[in-house]
Amino acid sequence: MTDKERSRQELVDFLRTIQRPDYSHAVIDEESGLVESGLIDSLALLQIVTYLEQAYGVDFSERGIDPEDLRSVNSILDLIAREAAS
Amino acid sequence: MFADLTCGALSELESGRSCSSQEIAMRVAAGAARLRARGLQRGDRLFILYGNNLEFFVDLLAAWNVGASVVPVDNRLTPFEVENLARTVTPKFALTDATVPTALGDALVALGVELLGSSDLAADAVPSANAFCAARLDDEALILFTSGTTGVPKGVVHTHRSLRARWLCLRQSLGIDCFRRTLCLLPTHFGHGLICNSLFPWLFGQDLIIAPPFSPYLLMRLGPIVDEQKITFLSSVPSMWGLSLKGSKPPQGNTLQRIHCGSAPLSAHLWGQIQQWSGIRAVYNAYGITETGSWVAGTSIEDFEPEDGLVGVPWGAVIKILKNADPQTPFADGAECRVAETGYVWINTPALMQGYYGQPELTDQVISGGWFVTGDMGLIDDRGRFYLKGRERDEINKGGAKVYPADVDAVVERFEPATAVCTFAIADPAYGQNVAMAVVLSRQDDATLRQLHGWLKEHLAEFKIPQRWYVVDELPQNSRGKVSRATVQEFCASLKPVDLVGLLRRGS
Repeated sequence: MTDKERSRQELVDFLRTIQRPDYSHAVIDEESGLVESGLIDSLALLQIVTYLEQAYGVDFSERGIDPEDLRSVNSILDLIAREAAS
Repeated sequence: MFADLTCGALSELESGRSCSSQEIAMRVAAGAARLRARGLQRGDRLFILYGNNLEFFVDLLAAWNVGASVVPVDNRLTPFEVENLARTVTPKFALTDATVPTALGDALVALGVELLGSSDLAADAVPSANAFCAARLDDEALILFTSGTTGVPKGVVHTHRSLRARWLCLRQSLGIDCFRRTLCLLPTHFGHGLICNSLFPWLFGQDLIIAPPFSPYLLMRLGPIVDEQKITFLSSVPSMWGLSLKGSKPPQGNTLQRIHCGSAPLSAHLWGQIQQWSGIRAVYNAYGITETGSWVAGTSIEDFEPEDGLVGVPWGAVIKILKNADPQTPFADGAECRVAETGYVWINTPALMQGYYGQPELTDQVISGGWFVTGDMGLIDDRGRFYLKGRERDEINKGGAKVYPADVDAVVERFEPATAVCTFAIADPAYGQNVAMAVVLSRQDDATLRQLHGWLKEHLAEFKIPQRWYVVDELPQNSRGKVSRATVQEFCASLKPVDLVGLLRRGS
């Protein structure tokens, strides 16, 4: 499993722990908005921020949060890749 | 509207729509004329099913101009809950707009409530003769429902007199200058957001910038928003600050003069972080309860350091700490606590509610001789500073939104396979607290649990639905043989909760 695939799986596993219980889709669409699709409620974005800080050392206090970075699985993975490259 | 209250300008943060003070006056007059033409009269009650927009404030003042009282309704409630509220206060009309779920309107129509649209602010505002404001000081102005949406709703009734008293007390205690440009990020269906964050500054001529409540996308841009809008004041709840402190650049424009934080305990640590982020010392823990017209005390003292539990000094109230919460004999000899002794918090304020709607016995349980027992525990130290030490009230504070365990229990108890239930609070990293329940079921199979989830969704607003479930054989009792939420919470801490996500996915 590549690093990217591992990051994707770990992120999806994490999202499953904070998702709305009755989110009915078996698969999380990686391009759909996490809040817009109903997977999470909007305050759960804070838990994603904490996850990224703890798992990847992302320092949001320096860079701020761009809401687009947290919009979907793919956008979060892109953020993780950019942080790893910097 | 009362002659000496003149509103400021009003604008919406996201849409950019705005109304000047003069335009609002014309819109209110037109709105009042429209409502009168439809048959609204002094003494009638009106639901407003939307909030946090220009139309809400125009329609609120228009209804008051007619002399009606307004019930701001949280449109996240289920039709079941809204029906319950409507059966209690029998509104003549309900104002609705495109943001309101159709099912809520349908439920009200089925009860005989007539639906009207919100004011049409796109239409030309035509100056009209100012209709004499029909409201009297002691008329009902607002009914704010707190608990009981699934059972016997508890509606806090404020008159124009009690609201005005709150505003005048705040003006006397806090001044008005720092509220020059006020941002409201809180919902307008509850006391903190409506009475104090919005109406207090706005009705004293300050500008109000209104935003969708608790929008994380706004919170992540709070600093730039403060700069762009030249905000001088905002109020908040602790859970709002998680995203802003982590993700928003601090404001740079030096416009902020004051920040309040209330509706949930404010830790010294978070308090200090907000001061650091905002660049101002004037960050105050604002203590308030719907029954007292919200803000009734706070840290408006000159020299203070953030401390856990520190509230400060009364704002238009007298606070006493008594050894008992008994409304029959609150001031018996020796009833008052000593300096720094923890006891029950009682408040006397001219902004006290008129009572709970239709529940005089319940009102008598909390008001005695003009004194209101809050359900909070506190102390006053030797400097006269009030500290909050805990809450005896049975509520779960989910990010500032109050969830009443009894409301959840009442719904679960009506689910046929449920033989016992106890709802309780659990810690939550985002919200502070979240909702959990322990339930005894006559059938514990997956299908029954899924049916229970469907039952909860039908009868409870989503934010009230327990996020963690424990299916148990019996509810543990405390040493006195009673089921207490604290005992159940402790018991469940060592149990494995239901895998709700997996359960619902298997069934979908």
